[in-house]
Amino acid sequence: MTALVRYRLAVLLHSQRWLPPLFLNLVALAVLTSSDSGPLLSSYAVAAGAEFVCGVWLTAALVNAESPVGRAVTGVNAGGPERVWAGDALAGLAACAAPAVLGLGYPVVAGNHPSVTAAQLGVGALAMAGCACAAVSVGLLTSRPVIGRPGAAVLAAVAAVVLLLLVTWIPPVHETLTLLAAGRTAAGVGLPIAGLAAGGAVLLALCTLAASRRAGRG
Amino acid sequence: MAPVVRARGVAKQYGRRARPVLYGIDLEVAAGEVVAVRGANGSGKSTLLRILAGLTRPTAGTVDGRPRPVGWVPERFPPSERLSAAAYLVHQGRIRGLRADAARERAARLLERLALAGGAGTPMARLSKGNAQKVALAQAVLTPPALLVLDEPWSGLDAPARGVLAELIAETAGSGGAVVLTDHGGSASPTAAYLLEGGRLAPAGAEAAPLYEIVLGGAEETVLKVPATHRDAVLSDALARGRTVLGVRAL
Repeated sequence: MTALVRYRLAVLLHSQRWLPPLFLNLVALAVLTSSDSGPLLSSYAVAAGAEFVCGVWLTAALVNAESPVGRAVTGVNAGGPERVWAGDALAGLAACAAPAVLGLGYPVVAGNHPSVTAAQLGVGALAMAGCACAAVSVGLLTSRPVIGRPGAAVLAAVAAVVLLLLVTWIPPVHETLTLLAAGRTAAGVGLPIAGLAAGGAVLLALCTLAASRRAGRG
Repeated sequence: MAPVVRARGVAKQYGRRARPVLYGIDLEVAAGEVVAVRGANGSGKSTLLRILAGLTRPTAGTVDGRPRPVGWVPERFPPSERLSAAAYLVHQGRIRGLRADAARERAARLLERLALAGGAGTPMARLSKGNAQKVALAQAVLTPPALLVLDEPWSGLDAPARGVLAELIAETAGSGGAVVLTDHGGSASPTAAYLLEGGRLAPAGAEAAPLYEIVLGGAEETVLKVPATHRDAVLSDALARGRTVLGVRAL
């Protein structure tokens, strides 16, 4: 599995398709969190939202950077296409580490927050982890092997991102961002955000399986 | 000999209302066998091969005993990756379970044998069809496959590379692997041949091309069984690589 993840990340890196989503992420952070003076967790609500959008894009780019025939070759060498999907999910999470670290660090450096504690960083990291799981789920389900037409794939991805960001009852992204922005202490929101991150991990496992089954029908 | 892979009643239909591509295919391939599947364009050869390699799920029927590792050479291999051919092969070798240094060594040796023009450092996306086909061939044998599936492997390869391909097929079969390939006849000399027509598989007359046994010396002795059509290419390639020919014998 390590070999698959390394291969995916190498292909993504060489394709340079990582640049637009990371640039977008950085712009969002710069515009929305620079010189914030409120609680750090509210800045993290913005950063986690930006990480979510960036993560969807990175995951889809990671899968789509390989040609369909190349993907089939990798599937045979890995011992089955479903293993490639598992590798994609892990590689997607690894790729999300970039916007997550940016999102955790930038508000601390560029903002004027009254206090920065380890607990706040920890809660921020948990929120990033949950949003990364949701992002990779959407990215996999809107990648080329699942939705063949590029236009339809982009529309589906945008629709999924908007729904997850805005609709109250769809976990875990909206709920996580709301908790972060509520102005409560890190200790107060730590547990529910950890629960949402765990839910995100379950969602990712289910979506990886769904993408694999859906793509394998061909 | 016991079959390495056995397809039973394999059928495939793309979409519910489409005409089925394959109807109830039964096929057994034993260790050391080289099976050719022939048929017109669009007769379902590639689909059958993808099912045997485990890439496509059949609509009905089963494939039993698919061994590991499988090597699959696609019909066309248009890579979009900007990785170099060497880096790509090292990654694929690691995915096949090799350690990084072993993968590097094996990839370099295969590319040298196949004489990749432009070198191993060329980005994959810039390779010509023939050279991309060489990379496609190399990735399938990075570790010796127990089942080697080749879709139109002869197309696009130059004469020396065809000799190496014949060697690789003979080596795989010689070390107990099963080989299934498609061709339009003439290029390979398989141990069994089938004709795929109207979605059904029927035995085709086995090729009349005689087999030759070539014994190569050098660091280690190798015995190859190659069809007459490839005898000269295999011999000249072996000599060019500094091997000694110990004997050639018609079988």
